[in-house]
Amino acid sequence: MANMKFYCDAERCIECNACVTACKNENEVPWGVNRRRVVTIKDGEPGERSLSVACMHCADAPCAAVCPVDCFYTTEDGVVLHDKDICIGCGYCFYACPFGAPQFPKAGAFASRGKMDKCTFCAGGPKETGSAEEHRMYGSNRLAEGKLPLCAEMCSTKALIAGDADVVSDIYRRRVVNRGASVLDWGVNYDKASLRAPQSVKGKASSDG
Amino acid sequence: MSLFGLRVSGWQLSTLFLAGLLLFIAFPATAQDKVPASPIMVPNPATDLWRAVRQREGAASGQTQVRGIETGVLIEQRGEAFREYRRRDFIGNAGIFIGVIAGLVLLFYILRGRINIPGGRSGRRIKRFADFERTLHWFTAIVFIFLALTGLTLLFGRFVVLPVFGAEAFGVIASACKEGHNLFGPLFIVAVVLLFIRFAWRNLPSRGDLTWLVKGGGIIGKAHVTAGFFNAGEKIWFWSVMVLGLAVSISGLVLIFPTLGQPRDIMQLALFVHGIAAVLFIAGSFGHIYIGTIGTEGSLESMTTGYVDENWAEAHHDRWHAETVAQAARGADRHASADTTGAVHATTDKA
Repeated sequence: MANMKFYCDAERCIECNACVTACKNENEVPWGVNRRRVVTIKDGEPGERSLSVACMHCADAPCAAVCPVDCFYTTEDGVVLHDKDICIGCGYCFYACPFGAPQFPKAGAFASRGKMDKCTFCAGGPKETGSAEEHRMYGSNRLAEGKLPLCAEMCSTKALIAGDADVVSDIYRRRVVNRGASVLDWGVNYDKASLRAPQSVKGKASSDG
Repeated sequence: MSLFGLRVSGWQLSTLFLAGLLLFIAFPATAQDKVPASPIMVPNPATDLWRAVRQREGAASGQTQVRGIETGVLIEQRGEAFREYRRRDFIGNAGIFIGVIAGLVLLFYILRGRINIPGGRSGRRIKRFADFERTLHWFTAIVFIFLALTGLTLLFGRFVVLPVFGAEAFGVIASACKEGHNLFGPLFIVAVVLLFIRFAWRNLPSRGDLTWLVKGGGIIGKAHVTAGFFNAGEKIWFWSVMVLGLAVSISGLVLIFPTLGQPRDIMQLALFVHGIAAVLFIAGSFGHIYIGTIGTEGSLESMTTGYVDENWAEAHHDRWHAETVAQAARGADRHASADTTGAVHATTDKA
């Protein structure tokens, strides 16, 4: 069985937000809910990087650990899903999640929190696969159709990769080899004087390149 | 012996040697510090950037088009601490703590038994609590028990209730508990405020409280301890209710409106305070309920009927009893001076 993972390549992400839009459209998520978001750090400064973040489908998910009603489960593809019929909307998963993935629509007379919603890796939910109810509650089930999450499938720069962890890491490894990820590559094109590495290390890196 | 022209005796030298040896053992690092460190000073902006992102330092928080709570934060590292606190530290220990306190109360009952009114009931009753006070007490008690039961279900339900009823049914139970807890929570704040207004004055520390505490309230042994309207134990419980009530109220108000945009660390802190205060509150209530019901003969009726037996009052609150009797006598005297019939004099003598 596959072990599904997302990877976002910060060297490629151009902050177009198409993944966010595609996700909203494909899964028809409630108003105010964003299963995916693009975060830009050092915006407008040298070294600006963008990353697309959603649920990372942790192997040992903190959300599942703190949930008072135990509504989370991991599919055999390694996708972390939850049952909205059991969820009570307490928000503990949101406080435990490092990525801010769990989202809550406003519901009720006092705009209290509704049932949690998060990225499903386009794998639907615990309702009957492909049913209208599954789509209404959890969104698309592309995995059942043999497709990968839409956010990654339509990423124009292929910054966002989704799929089996072995394949994803292999793609990333090849990228790193091709573009070079030696620590010495940083800044070497701009200011060689700023490189304070001992001569021995410097020699090794250049011979490798 | 001569050393650098100084006369030094043998034991002085050995002491010096021993001190030097001790210093060397205590600070061995000083010897190693002389070896020059050779860190590889390679600038690596990527490493620094991602480290800053992970540890939420400085400019690591970014910009995003998505509106919401802390959407610019890539990694919230306090989440793991919250998880460990809840799963590893809190739930198990809270269960043990509540169980141990309940066990201690039971053990005390087995060892000591009910504390009877010395000399039995006199049959004469004195007013202790007004109707408003009793209504307020039972209002607080009912709301407290409801909040405690719903809160404990949410805390331990996953491990206690869920395996019995199944996930689907427990989802419904937990949802009802959460809604009920949120609905009745604000009533408890009202109760705590009213309790403060009504009872704070009588719970101020007074002379004799310390003696009462030193003697353990007379609960162990047969020694008689003196007390006013409230004894030091009751005062401690009252101020515990105030402090814990304030803690659960403030943290509860933060938790009850999650859509106001509080950051995650505030909510984590609120859950931390709310949980610990509530568990202490519940454990404390065991003692209060025990002493007020099966632990002491004649105590419960002060809150059910508002009256207590005179012998109970004399045994547990002798100074209050003396004051009440004296006041009644004064009242009767005034009445007597206004009225000149012999029947009233008889009543005064009796009092």
